[in-house]
Amino acid sequence: MSESRRDPLDELLARVPREVAPERDLWPAIRAGIEAEPRPAERARGGAHPRWFQLAAGVLLVLASSLTTYVLTRQSLQQEAAQIARETLPAPSLTATPASFGLAPEALGVEYVQTRAELDKRFEQRLATLPPVTRAKVERNLAEIRKASSEIAAALAENPSDPLLQELLLSTYRNEIRLLTDVSQLPSTSTRVDL
Amino acid sequence: MKHVLCVAMMFLCAGAAAAETVERRSPADPNGEVEIGNIAGRVEVVGWDRAEVELQADIAGGADELRFERRGARTVIQIRTNRHHGAAADMTVRVPQGSSLMINTVSADQQVEGVRGRQRLQSVSGAIDTEVFDEFEIETASGEISVRGHGGQALARVTSVSGDVRLDDIGPDVELSTVSGDLNVRAKRIERARINTTNGDLDFTAALAPDARIDAEAINGDLRFEFLGAVNAEFDIETFNGDIDNCFGPEPRRSRDFGPGNELRFEEGKGGATVRVKTLNGGVELCKK
Repeated sequence: MSESRRDPLDELLARVPREVAPERDLWPAIRAGIEAEPRPAERARGGAHPRWFQLAAGVLLVLASSLTTYVLTRQSLQQEAAQIARETLPAPSLTATPASFGLAPEALGVEYVQTRAELDKRFEQRLATLPPVTRAKVERNLAEIRKASSEIAAALAENPSDPLLQELLLSTYRNEIRLLTDVSQLPSTSTRVDL
Repeated sequence: MKHVLCVAMMFLCAGAAAAETVERRSPADPNGEVEIGNIAGRVEVVGWDRAEVELQADIAGGADELRFERRGARTVIQIRTNRHHGAAADMTVRVPQGSSLMINTVSADQQVEGVRGRQRLQSVSGAIDTEVFDEFEIETASGEISVRGHGGQALARVTSVSGDVRLDDIGPDVELSTVSGDLNVRAKRIERARINTTNGDLDFTAALAPDARIDAEAINGDLRFEFLGAVNAEFDIETFNGDIDNCFGPEPRRSRDFGPGNELRFEEGKGGATVRVKTLNGGVELCKK
């Protein structure tokens, strides 16, 4: 195949740099989320629910890392695309660009999906034991968080480089994980105080 | 502690029983830890000047288990009422005022007064009303939270799913998170605040420490800040689709050429503190008192 007949998308992808310096440092928000996880009473007690926080922290780390990678990759692709579009006609379409980070858990990787599934399972088990009225409230509030995530993801699809939306999306994911974790830890009728 | 006082009783009730009154008392460490568990009913904890823990409980409907145990500096009180409808325990617990508290309830309300140690209070749907002197952490799903501080010298961490939260005279370090509960915060002086709400509104009234840092995020909730005294801070406010009202003077500007969005960045006084607020649809209001 001659150069002139190569797929414009292949050319575009071949020119994407392997490393991209971040335009915006997402680490402070990520670090704040991680630092928010240890609880003072647990520190004092040597960790009452270490497994829960390891699980939640793991999910958050994967989530933050995946979001950062996704945003950087997407920004890189779009910057390259914009540059090439100016140089080459007709402009290639960006069908290779991920379209819906917020709606496709698979985009976050196997580790995230597995860890999140375990968290979901424990949450559902605990949710089933809550009084009906409380259970309905928790479900309604979880739905509100997920609706917010979808709304932000949709806005992000239209404004992919918007740092405010990126930050709020990450924050909303963090809130969802926190809700799942907190509800899983709520006192239950079978809770015993271990001596 | 060289000896262990252990008084444990098992109530295995065949069915619903008449109300029963239980009283227990034990020596306790003046600065020890008291853990209390109750499913339904009420837990009232009062700090007193004796090195003793005292329990008085009215148990309606029978209990599967009552534990009143001391091990070293730790006292554990737990009542597990029968699971049939209407079973509940109303507990009044007196503890040394220097105690730390850990209370877990399901639907039982919690009320705490005069206990000066750390507090960790959790409930599912029970309301929590407490007086605090030290670090505290409170979590509820739907229960309302009310906290009265004494100037605030430590970390306050509050998480609610849908319960409203009212914090008075707390600080200087607060972390608040809610999905749909409204937050009402009054603090004499704030050094650091991290606030996150999805749909709940925030009313925040406080003076800022010279190097204070406030970070607040909301999706649909409206955030109102009223600052006490001299304000020396840099403000960084941004909304995707919400209004910004600013009593300090500078006007917000549109942050996007097309579509909604407002941003407002300015310095008030000498700067030093930072106030950073981000929302999706929620409005932001800044004012000085």
